[in-house]
Amino acid sequence: MKRSWAGYFLARVVVAAIVTALLSAATSAAPVPAAQVAIAGNATAGPVFPVTVHSGDGNVTIQARPVRILCLSPSATQMVYALGAGPQVIGVDEYSSWPADAPRTKFTGAETSAEDYLPLRPDLVVLSYPSGAIVQQLRELKVPVLVLPAATTFAAVYSQLAELAAATGHGAAVGAVEASMKEDISAATHKAGSAARGDSYYIEIDPTYYTATSKTFIGAEFSLFGMRDIADPAGRLSAYPQISAEYILKTNPDYVFLADTVCCQQTPAGFAHRPGFSVLAAVRLHHVIGVNDSVASEWGPHTIETLVALLGDTLRS
Amino acid sequence: MTLTADAKTSDRQAPPLDDIDGPDAPALRPTRLTVGHVVLGAGFLLAAAIVSILVGPAGLPAGAVLTEVLGRLPLVHLHSGLSATGVVVVWQWRMPRMVLGGLVGAMLAIAGASYQGAFSNPLADPYLLGVASGAGLGATLVVVGAPVIGQIPSDLLPLAAFAGAVLAVTATFALGRSRASERSSASLLLAGVAVAAFFTAVQTFLLQRSSPGQLSTVYSWILGGLSTAGWGQVDLVLPYVGTAILVLLACRRLLDVMSVGDEEATSVGVRAERVRLVVIVAATLGTAAAVSVSGLIGFVGIIVPHTIRLLAGPSYRRILPLSVLFGAGFLILADLLARTVLSPAEIPLGVVTAFLGAPFFLVVLRQARRLG
Repeated sequence: MKRSWAGYFLARVVVAAIVTALLSAATSAAPVPAAQVAIAGNATAGPVFPVTVHSGDGNVTIQARPVRILCLSPSATQMVYALGAGPQVIGVDEYSSWPADAPRTKFTGAETSAEDYLPLRPDLVVLSYPSGAIVQQLRELKVPVLVLPAATTFAAVYSQLAELAAATGHGAAVGAVEASMKEDISAATHKAGSAARGDSYYIEIDPTYYTATSKTFIGAEFSLFGMRDIADPAGRLSAYPQISAEYILKTNPDYVFLADTVCCQQTPAGFAHRPGFSVLAAVRLHHVIGVNDSVASEWGPHTIETLVALLGDTLRS
Repeated sequence: MTLTADAKTSDRQAPPLDDIDGPDAPALRPTRLTVGHVVLGAGFLLAAAIVSILVGPAGLPAGAVLTEVLGRLPLVHLHSGLSATGVVVVWQWRMPRMVLGGLVGAMLAIAGASYQGAFSNPLADPYLLGVASGAGLGATLVVVGAPVIGQIPSDLLPLAAFAGAVLAVTATFALGRSRASERSSASLLLAGVAVAAFFTAVQTFLLQRSSPGQLSTVYSWILGGLSTAGWGQVDLVLPYVGTAILVLLACRRLLDVMSVGDEEATSVGVRAERVRLVVIVAATLGTAAAVSVSGLIGFVGIIVPHTIRLLAGPSYRRILPLSVLFGAGFLILADLLARTVLSPAEIPLGVVTAFLGAPFFLVVLRQARRLG
């Protein structure tokens, strides 16, 4: 029983890892996304369909401007609404929390049968972690699918934004959205100044000391402020390693960010009361900050701007 | 088996003080625990415990840590010179983690050995009657239910895992006990398989509908680990594990008698069915308590008893006490590897025990086959 469990999960993890690897290989194999070419060609004349965009698993041609978009990835939902394509969306997944009035469905984005989506008659499906043969099934049904895997760099975020803009017919908006994000980031880093430059941080993903290294997207966000991730020496085999309380004590991080406030009800006060943690610099200086769990798993403009603004305010003081 | 005569004689007559080294040692295979075995087991456990207290990322000087620990012994007055932080590392983290590892290892090993005796099945392990699936479902319910029910203290997870394990095994008993005593153990095993399948199905359903974050929380619990061990968890499991180990140790002679078969055991006045029930209840409660804080750590209950059986013979009077000592030492060392091999990253403890355990078990199996 126990082994079949482990096998089941292992299989899922391995499949996910292979899919991610293939997808990222596909992404890096095309240095100039087709979407950007398309935007460049249509920048003045407005969106012209059909348009070919670069999906995580190859090029996708969209015949007409989609008006029934099924967006099953919280980060992609944020991008679609930021681009102004919200009115074309007929459904988002249950984890898409922004914007609050998006039409949430029971879908998770991990469905394995395309038949599940058919009642909504989508003309574009956006996924981040496709399961099984769903992409192939949707293509057989002539429903275009855009796969946008987890971004680990800002460049990847802007590239996904451009692909979504082209795919939804909002190519003209992408420049403004990107500029606004960069403006927010620059305002926050300017506000923080050099106060936290070189300071170390620990980001807690669950109370058993799973964390994220600087090679993750959330790590990239902290790097904007010149901060140092205490988990980097543990990141040889995984970007999300498990470390120990003793290692946290030894490295004595200047800041602690709790990204397990929702899943596991952790609080800065509770963190300070864990055995031995009262001596940590971050605890004594009140540098333990609770954040929404989603900052560690989402790369949409809203999540980014929220976290970056929080960091700007926090690190200044 | 040659045990028949031996088990009877040593139960009924006053046995010689040391029946392995004495000049009158019988020709039969010795079955009593010898001083040498105990010294070896205790030495192994002590060595594992000391090394695990000394090693850690904080890089405390070994001499100071030893002095600190010795200084806490009664009648010893030593000053270690460790900083307040060092004292926290030793007493709040390394020590409870070592003690908890030892308790869990001892419990899993003796439970495995007892199950193997009670069911006369060499592949019986502590999770046989549904403990793992029940505990897994309990843990999953807490993790998946947390956002729905609201504020749940995070220490509810071990309690839910314990409750789930007890529920699963109770269901196994309710469904699997039959009146015919000779068929009873087989139908218990089958009921255990069915209950495990049912609980796993519910757990799979819940997990399939859970978020990726919840999935990884449950998954990391399933893999097992002691990364958040504290004295609170030691307090939580000690009463159950301590009682279970004492009860099982008290049954060691009876398990030897039962190894010749239920009918033969009955003929010498041992009520096999009742002994089996006591052993199973004790082993199951102890295992449920252990996995509720450590997660599902596999293979300890198989490899430790079988290795001891190979080295010290098939008598449960040896296997059970030695399982406690070597099981504790084995899991302490496995946890040491889990936190040092990729330091500062940790490896799930269940991965270490299975990674070491599986090949080791194959070697033991080959040896056993060669010995006939």
